[in-house]
Amino acid sequence: MSLSLTERLKLNFLEQDRWKYMVRGLGTTLLITVVAAAIGILLGFVIAVIRSTYDKTGHLKILNAVCKVYLTVIRGTPTTVQLMIVYFIIFSSVNKPLLSAFIAFGLNSAAYVAEIVRSGIMSINPGQMEAGRSLGLSYRASMWYIIIPQAFKNVLPALTNEFIVLLKETSICMAISLKDLTYGSTLISSQTYDYFLPLIMTALIYLVFVMLLTWLFGILERRLRSNERR
Amino acid sequence: MSADERQILFDIQGLEKSFADNHVLRGITTQFRKGDVTAIVGPSGCGKSTFLRSLNLLEEPTGGRILFEGTDITAPGVDINRFRRKVGMVFQQFNLFPHLTILENITLAPVKLHILSKQQAVEKARFLLDRVGLPEKADDYPAMLSGGQQQRIAIARAMAMEPDVMLFDEPTSALDPEMVGEVLEIMRELAQTGMTMIIVTHEMGFAREVATRAMFIDEGVIKEDEKPAEFFSNPKNQRLVDFLSKVL
Repeated sequence: MSLSLTERLKLNFLEQDRWKYMVRGLGTTLLITVVAAAIGILLGFVIAVIRSTYDKTGHLKILNAVCKVYLTVIRGTPTTVQLMIVYFIIFSSVNKPLLSAFIAFGLNSAAYVAEIVRSGIMSINPGQMEAGRSLGLSYRASMWYIIIPQAFKNVLPALTNEFIVLLKETSICMAISLKDLTYGSTLISSQTYDYFLPLIMTALIYLVFVMLLTWLFGILERRLRSNERR
Repeated sequence: MSADERQILFDIQGLEKSFADNHVLRGITTQFRKGDVTAIVGPSGCGKSTFLRSLNLLEEPTGGRILFEGTDITAPGVDINRFRRKVGMVFQQFNLFPHLTILENITLAPVKLHILSKQQAVEKARFLLDRVGLPEKADDYPAMLSGGQQQRIAIARAMAMEPDVMLFDEPTSALDPEMVGEVLEIMRELAQTGMTMIIVTHEMGFAREVATRAMFIDEGVIKEDEKPAEFFSNPKNQRLVDFLSKVL
């Protein structure tokens, strides 16, 4: 017995309000992405500043060493394994999958953001820092008002890329039974025995949100670049 | 020489600077007084830029002392940021902040250092833009300006801090020839107001006309330090004679 497309759509998404699996899952996926991206940006910038300060001045030697170990471990191990370590080992006594995902993806993203931002900071002409310091601004103030804004603008395309990867990578949340978008679609499949439509729909939703993200960052990038016009 | 009553701004005692095993400054001792307009010349690689950059500690001296207005700024624990407010710097590559408007370039430091309120700083910036002849550029970004205009803005930016002395590191070397004049003109006007200036330059004509003092640095030491008239028409050091014969 074969169903028509309309019937299959009905079966997979309308009957028993199965679309709610997708919508709730999408909410979880977006929530994890946003929180992890926030942690990633915050921690990533701090690490980038520590690392580039060491590269340029030789100060913060110990902090730099700590950051380097952190980057090596995070970038050297699979995200899925990190996520499972956080959930099954670190938070083993409490069942907190969402919190585990925030932390695992946040810490993971921070490592990549840190190196992206560091490359941006290092690419700024040393004369910019010297100009700031010669006016009496502290190293910190020069970094904050002069270097970081320029570095941020330069690395925005790479950051966009990182957040696209982050959004898609949250689909491994299934490993800790967290009901994200991808898991939502498999829940539907397990009830309807149809994999095709839920998965295609899931892929489309990811695609739409990646395109949305790209578009938003594109607007931001154009706005920041407007002062380069001659 | 008759007793000079003018305040000593910089008192430099045996200044040395090495990069790894490259001994660039080999003991420089001199003083700069209020109102001095000093042109520093010398062959490339002689250490003149390093010397200038040492004066506001962009290069950290490896030996000797620098006293500024009586305070040893090379001593540990000195508030370098506070000292640098008093010492303006103009760079060869201008180093304007490309992400800020011209007005923001000039007001950034006075506002962030809480020296002026935002409004006071803007008023001051507009006054300085008038002085360097670019009042209409306030809301432009540096990339929209020519090199000469950018350097005039850089001078205004340094002046906004009301420094006691201004350092110029080859301020016209990165400029197209037709833009050199406009920058030198601003510097000439600045000198006429009594600003203390220390200028590393290749502009011998400017050094001769505007400077009150000409200094020849070679092999990391001061080899001649004279009034410009004497310096250019009657040089004593043989290396200076050779140098002038090549550049004049």
